[in-house]
Amino acid sequence: MQAEAIVRKLEKVAEDIIYLKLEEKSIAQLALPGQFLHIRIGRGVAPLLRRPFSIAGASPEEKAFSILFRVSGEGTRLMSGLRPGDRMDCLGPLGRGFHTAPLKGAALMVAGGIGIAPLLFLAQHLLGAGHKLVFFYGAPSAGEMVCLERFLFNGAETWLATEDGSAGRRGTVVDLLEGFFLEGRISGSVFACGPRPMLKALQEKNEQWKMPLKFSLEERMACGVGACQGCVVASSPDFMGWGARQYHRVCLEGPVFDAGEVLL
Amino acid sequence: MTTLSTVLGPLELSCPVLAASGTFGFGEEYSSMLDLSELGGVVVKGLTLEPRWGNPPPRVVETPAGMLNAIGLQNPGLEGFLEREMPRLRHCGTAVIVNINGETEEEFAVLARELSSVEGLAALELNVSCPNVPLGGITFGSSTPILQKLLKKVRPLCRLPLLVKLSPNVTDIAGLARVCRDEGADAVSLINTLKGMVIDTAAKTPLLGNKTGGLSGPAIRPVAVRMVYEVFQEVNIPIIGMGGIMSTEDALQFFMAGARAVAVGTANFVEPRIMPQIISGLRAYLEEEDLEDIGSVIGAAHRET
Repeated sequence: MQAEAIVRKLEKVAEDIIYLKLEEKSIAQLALPGQFLHIRIGRGVAPLLRRPFSIAGASPEEKAFSILFRVSGEGTRLMSGLRPGDRMDCLGPLGRGFHTAPLKGAALMVAGGIGIAPLLFLAQHLLGAGHKLVFFYGAPSAGEMVCLERFLFNGAETWLATEDGSAGRRGTVVDLLEGFFLEGRISGSVFACGPRPMLKALQEKNEQWKMPLKFSLEERMACGVGACQGCVVASSPDFMGWGARQYHRVCLEGPVFDAGEVLL
Repeated sequence: MTTLSTVLGPLELSCPVLAASGTFGFGEEYSSMLDLSELGGVVVKGLTLEPRWGNPPPRVVETPAGMLNAIGLQNPGLEGFLEREMPRLRHCGTAVIVNINGETEEEFAVLARELSSVEGLAALELNVSCPNVPLGGITFGSSTPILQKLLKKVRPLCRLPLLVKLSPNVTDIAGLARVCRDEGADAVSLINTLKGMVIDTAAKTPLLGNKTGGLSGPAIRPVAVRMVYEVFQEVNIPIIGMGGIMSTEDALQFFMAGARAVAVGTANFVEPRIMPQIISGLRAYLEEEDLEDIGSVIGAAHRET
């Protein structure tokens, strides 16, 4: 569906990362963790295409939902100048989200950088349903990390990793998680979102861990609804089912995939 | 009472606005957002005889007022199309035009022959202008003798109205349109995308998986309008105009340049309801100008004032 959402709040929550709260009743009601919105920026021809953003949280009571974005190009630079009351043309919620039931053991959330967005929404759902949750969050430096307590009131056990060691353990979030697995301190279902190299490392390591692993992928997108075949990811050789499709559309078959479905 | 109906040789359309091939899938993805029967027709995703997996990602990238795509004709093949898409398309309430592609003349010929006997199709669009495949595609639409040979083979086998989609990546588009007319094609679709490239400077490599892609969107509109104008002036063949149409005003430029119908492509990605909006805009324009039909606008830019 297509709807005009109203900007309620814009807030810088980390270096170059902005939290945007929007109001639109239907989207707030329909949104599921892992789904995304395809948002048009302005009304002109530059930027031309909509931009996909993972939904970072939704509250049907407040008729509100939120996204996080990193100011990285012309489109997001324009978005950083939005004011409360401005309107945004949103298509969505779109795509296949995280299907979580039934969960065995804890939910292990593995986020890299801005990839925290869909996991915040998922955490909101899982905490609400009384699940045990452990967050593993990595970023290049502490300044680029979103404060989790700000979004998750019930709190969740949180472990951090930064490349420069400015917060938590020095190294990648995948190394951090591996430490936990090797020591046998933890088990459960893994939900991840982050840069492609991080997800690829996770997928490879999980060959040994053999945990249920789902991740949300990002890809350059045009239509967002499955028509243009632009945003594809290669399907894993073991997953050549119906029509032997060699590519999945991230917008329609994803953005959340089981680790076994795709070849990163 | 104004009418938007238009005629392209044997192809009669209730409305002159079509969805351009490759931007509208097989019509299903957008069917929840608009009523397909509002449209003049849908040109479905490029079809090949055998299924195609398409090009490696990234397949799309935005460019100034446009985008590059290099999908590479990902499609389920003739059999898959007939089994999975055609039963639904047959009842979608609008004219269905199939865009066909081949690596060889023989593949085009088989597709034309097989699809001619399929119930529920309005026309075929011969794609001799895809810039994103290594074999076939644009090769067939870049030289008049090669295009002529292909049409001599395909035209007699095609019992449906036959459109030919031409490429702007040529020096003499009117010459190619003339071959289409001489060989019995019913109309030409102008234009396909312009071949382009974006380089990822951090990686020092072309950004698209296919390296090059086809440029579409408002950035190419003036090129498309000029080509429609030129072909209208030089060759007597019905034209479907396309290239960066995002508004009623844009569509009118194509009609005035000489197009009898227009197709909307990239704009569907931006605004899924753009085609119904353009259609009501055209209706309002005819009423304001006190014109009875869209025909009185076609070619208007060529008349001496």
